[in-house]
Amino acid sequence: MATTLEAVRHRPDAPRPRPGWFRRNRSAVVRHGVINFFMLIIILPLAWVLILSVKSLPDAMRGNFWPKRFDFTHYGYIFQKINTLPINLFNSIYVTAGTVFLTAFCAVLAGYALVHLKPRGGPFIIAMLLVSLYFPVRVVSLISVYEIQNSLGLINSTSGLILPYVTLNLAISVLIMRSMFQLVPHELFEAAKIDGAGPWRSLWIIGVPMVRNGLVVIFIVNFVTAWGEFLLCTTLTNDQDARTMPVVLAGAQGGLGQWSWPNVAAVYVIVVTPGILAFTFAQKLFFKGLTEGVVKG
Amino acid sequence: MEETIASGHVGLTPTRHGARTGRRTTLLRQGIGTWLFLLPALIFFVGYQVYPIFRVLWISFTDYQFLSDQPAHWVWFKNYADALSDPLMWASLWRAAEFTIMFLPGTIILPLMLALLVDRVTQPRLATLYRVVLLIPAVIPSTLVFVLWKWMYNVQTGPINHFLIDTLGLFTLRNAPEWLGGTPLTLPSIAVMEWWWGLGYHTIFFLAGLAAIPKDLPEAARIDGANEWQVFWHITRPRLAPIMMILVVLRFGSAMAVIDEYLIFGGFNRASPTYTWTMFMYDEAFKTGLWRQGFAAAIGMIGAVAMMFVVVFLLRIFRPRD
Repeated sequence: MATTLEAVRHRPDAPRPRPGWFRRNRSAVVRHGVINFFMLIIILPLAWVLILSVKSLPDAMRGNFWPKRFDFTHYGYIFQKINTLPINLFNSIYVTAGTVFLTAFCAVLAGYALVHLKPRGGPFIIAMLLVSLYFPVRVVSLISVYEIQNSLGLINSTSGLILPYVTLNLAISVLIMRSMFQLVPHELFEAAKIDGAGPWRSLWIIGVPMVRNGLVVIFIVNFVTAWGEFLLCTTLTNDQDARTMPVVLAGAQGGLGQWSWPNVAAVYVIVVTPGILAFTFAQKLFFKGLTEGVVKG
Repeated sequence: MEETIASGHVGLTPTRHGARTGRRTTLLRQGIGTWLFLLPALIFFVGYQVYPIFRVLWISFTDYQFLSDQPAHWVWFKNYADALSDPLMWASLWRAAEFTIMFLPGTIILPLMLALLVDRVTQPRLATLYRVVLLIPAVIPSTLVFVLWKWMYNVQTGPINHFLIDTLGLFTLRNAPEWLGGTPLTLPSIAVMEWWWGLGYHTIFFLAGLAAIPKDLPEAARIDGANEWQVFWHITRPRLAPIMMILVVLRFGSAMAVIDEYLIFGGFNRASPTYTWTMFMYDEAFKTGLWRQGFAAAIGMIGAVAMMFVVVFLLRIFRPRD
């Protein structure tokens, strides 16, 4: 992070200071100044927690941003001493992967059908999905979702969380996929049909590659939601073993021993990094998908 | 499964060529094939969103208690009457509105300003770098944002109070501000956190809108002698209005129905400013007594309907006028 900020400050194309330089470039300087101020505000909390995770214990108690002594042993310590940590991490990965793939599967099929198979109730379904975006479904439906999970015997079950998680972003995912499939010419599917390909085959071979950018958006959006979901997880599970890592972290009181500040910060860094890494690698596709699917949609 | 649908579609070919026999059955089979594609999404959508809403509506007319072994009775509007005559219902609705009023302006105006600035950055690599940094908070999952800020707001060990006490010397350890935990500062603190979280994402939204404005429009206006403010007000603002409308309505909805933050920061203290209608509902449904879910469902419905009134009102103000 520090290096990127350095790069921002010393822009390679910045004109060299000459007499009267500031007056001529005042608006550009102010602009980049303000932008970099906001960038700093975005980065600073994350930088703080990253540094906290490698601070020695006395430094963590003192609160200075830059520690006197670094201590990298916290990462090893948490895996040895916090018993449920691997289980919680596994729960997070398992629930998130299940949610992301199920939602993407539902959204691709529904988006394709709504655009290219033109079902009779299509406009009604789309209207319902749109309404559900404006209604506080997540909160109001909680009582009934608890009842459903209870009658299915899924209270305190990690796998059971996947079912309500899928719906959290289902509406927006279907709508994104719908606007992605609207960009795919209908003739392509017609041609595939004439060549003897069924709708499943033509969807898999022609459709999916063409909506790839939208899929990236859906993957990331659903990953972020499922990875950090709190309300349903805390309501539908009771045991720490059944919960996902962020929910356990939210209940952890930073202090001494197992949950000393550097230790919780190390857990935090482990949990937050996958998302940021995945996004950084996929950002080109993500931006393309965002402009194609979300803004035009 | 794959076979039947495939044949259903291949079966369409004869009707195209004019053969009339079997047209009805192929249409029917084509219809079934289409619905098979929609089925997975619909099962989840109906099972976990549409049905629960109607189920909660039904529960709200009964005296259903989850932990009670007595059967539920239909009580008509008793729960609604009880809730509406409870001062806590009105207080909790007002608290949600208070938070929304604090949160909404900052989460629209700050990203708009930032987007106008970033949009002017012409150097491509720098522009990409800014966009990537902007989206980093948006890919941090919600709970992790809350946990991070919970630590930062910590009275004794948090970096914000450390900065105020040790660096600036504005406070001492005794009178250091308590940001969270039901103090009057709690709602503003949460609002600032939400600004941070949404800043980048909303900026990207506005940037996408700005990119759709043809560059020669503002240029021409500037040549005609318009100043920057006039360019913004007469050219940029009207073209950003649709995006702004979506953001205002969606963020209004999410702000009024916030619950995770209050569960993590506030707790179930009924006097806390974080005890909004969502917390009231959750408290009655899953924490208090025999889990009076009939009453809780009525609270949820009242909150949702109150919200929807404002959403419809907002959609009416912002509707495109030609």
